[in-house]
Amino acid sequence: MSSPEIFQLSLGPLTGIAFSPDRSQVCVCPNTNEAQIYTRNGEQWDLTDTLAEHDKLITAIAWGPNTNRIVTCSQDRNAYVWTQTEQGWKPALVILKINRAATCVKWSPAENKFAVGSGSRIIAICHFDEENNWWTAKQIKKPLRSTILSLDWHPNNYLLAAGTADGKVYVYSGYIKGLEAKPEATIWGDRLPTGAVLAEFKSPNGGWVHDVAFSPSGDILAFVAHDSSLNVIYAAGPNEPPAAHIVVKLPSLPFTSLTFVSESSIVAAGHDCQPILFTGSESGWSISHSLDDPTSSSKPLTPSATGVRSGGVGRLGNNEAFNMFKAADSKGQRGTPQPGAAPSSAGLTPVGQDGQLLTIHQNTITHVEPYEWNQNGEVSKIFTTGRDGRLVLWPVSAGKGLSGRMAGLQV
Amino acid sequence: MSEFAFRKINIDALEEDVLLPSDLYDPDPRGEQDVLSDAQQKSSEVRNLISRGDIAGALNTVLSDPPYGEGVDEAKDLTKNSLLLILNSTRASEIQGILKSLGQEQQDHLMAYIYKGMAAIGQGSDVSGSVLLNWHAQLTEVAGVGCIVRVMTDRRTL
Repeated sequence: MSSPEIFQLSLGPLTGIAFSPDRSQVCVCPNTNEAQIYTRNGEQWDLTDTLAEHDKLITAIAWGPNTNRIVTCSQDRNAYVWTQTEQGWKPALVILKINRAATCVKWSPAENKFAVGSGSRIIAICHFDEENNWWTAKQIKKPLRSTILSLDWHPNNYLLAAGTADGKVYVYSGYIKGLEAKPEATIWGDRLPTGAVLAEFKSPNGGWVHDVAFSPSGDILAFVAHDSSLNVIYAAGPNEPPAAHIVVKLPSLPFTSLTFVSESSIVAAGHDCQPILFTGSESGWSISHSLDDPTSSSKPLTPSATGVRSGGVGRLGNNEAFNMFKAADSKGQRGTPQPGAAPSSAGLTPVGQDGQLLTIHQNTITHVEPYEWNQNGEVSKIFTTGRDGRLVLWPVSAGKGLSGRMAGLQV
Repeated sequence: MSEFAFRKINIDALEEDVLLPSDLYDPDPRGEQDVLSDAQQKSSEVRNLISRGDIAGALNTVLSDPPYGEGVDEAKDLTKNSLLLILNSTRASEIQGILKSLGQEQQDHLMAYIYKGMAAIGQGSDVSGSVLLNWHAQLTEVAGVGCIVRVMTDRRTL
């Protein structure tokens, strides 16, 4: 198994990320009000464009794989759709009609609309208004009682899942009359007027829902919540309770993001700084393994820097004592940890002798998404970004579990 | 001072669309009365089990369907006291084995009560901090930090 590729795109957190359709460019927000587009140049990423229109922090970025349009949304309560022209990327206005920050954005699979979640208890489903040359929104308000933290579209382009800060997950109809053909009945429901709630689920201990995802077929819905749980739901049919709602309570810190690799495997990552592969079926799900094995020493821990100054502050950059206090300040690490400490049963991320985590990511992973698919349509590579400003491309051996890992071992 | 007066306004009283605790979790399906009699019954059962030396059984009893939510303070106090009685009367060498025999839900509840016990230290109750810390350390070892996160997240306060 090849080792993961690591890129340091920023010193601070990356708050939004999206890859171009051909994976040659990446659009990230380095915790500011501007989005940057980097172009891949061998082992480096070169800054080629800056998307500057927002007034406040950009919270999410989505890049349509078919139409090559970028949508960004921000705490300034606006979203912009960016189109590539000969004079660079040009923004188009989106009339969201929200009075709190926009928190998340996703293109629908057909890319004729996108959904924006917000802090004003509203999901805005936006489509293009030819007459006025801007994007207008249809709003979903009921029965939302709190901030929408995550969204995901069903592959049929009509259904939308939303996770909220009060620990609930809703499956909505995102059908827009006059824009598209009438939807056919699905396993989630048969009557689909805009905004109809087709299903509602709860996190087991009431933790806010960090991320939701539909499986590639759209028949399975999964979400991760702040009560350290992974939930997988199998739909049974319209107006029927789900066939199974599987709850995996983890010994580790909560996950913040997840993605389906196949119908029977999920990669989730979060505050533990490492992506974990889960496998399972309708009868149950369990941890398969971590994609980041902190006990192996062969992996390159030094990321390839990209337009980032190295070292620390001035002449103190290489001072051991300075780095120790810096680690204590920024990561809460004290004393000398045991060398090569294996992950303990308490589910803590192992810390190396230099105060750095033994995982590749040095802080919470905030985003997990598929990067590459193999001929069978299964995800073969994923990417993660986190609060440490790193972008990592991980190979995934889907569904093989332990045997797949053993094949990569040299005896 | 007048420029700070606005901070004392109860904005929830002015907001029509206020979020209530009942929006965030389902109240106990048992009524307040039933919860209380349930807690009383369990409390005497726990005393019996402890006198017979069946600590695991006592813990199991007290940690299944504990009272939570609003308006059941008496039942909560009873349950807390019988739980602290169990913790105090367990030999340190037995803790690990007992913890492993508990279900995941029960481990989460136990963690919540350990924190509740810590909060009660110095408020007239006869809890010893070292006992609680020992249970806490061993429970974290068995159930992981996820158990602590679940206690902090859960709005169904025990």
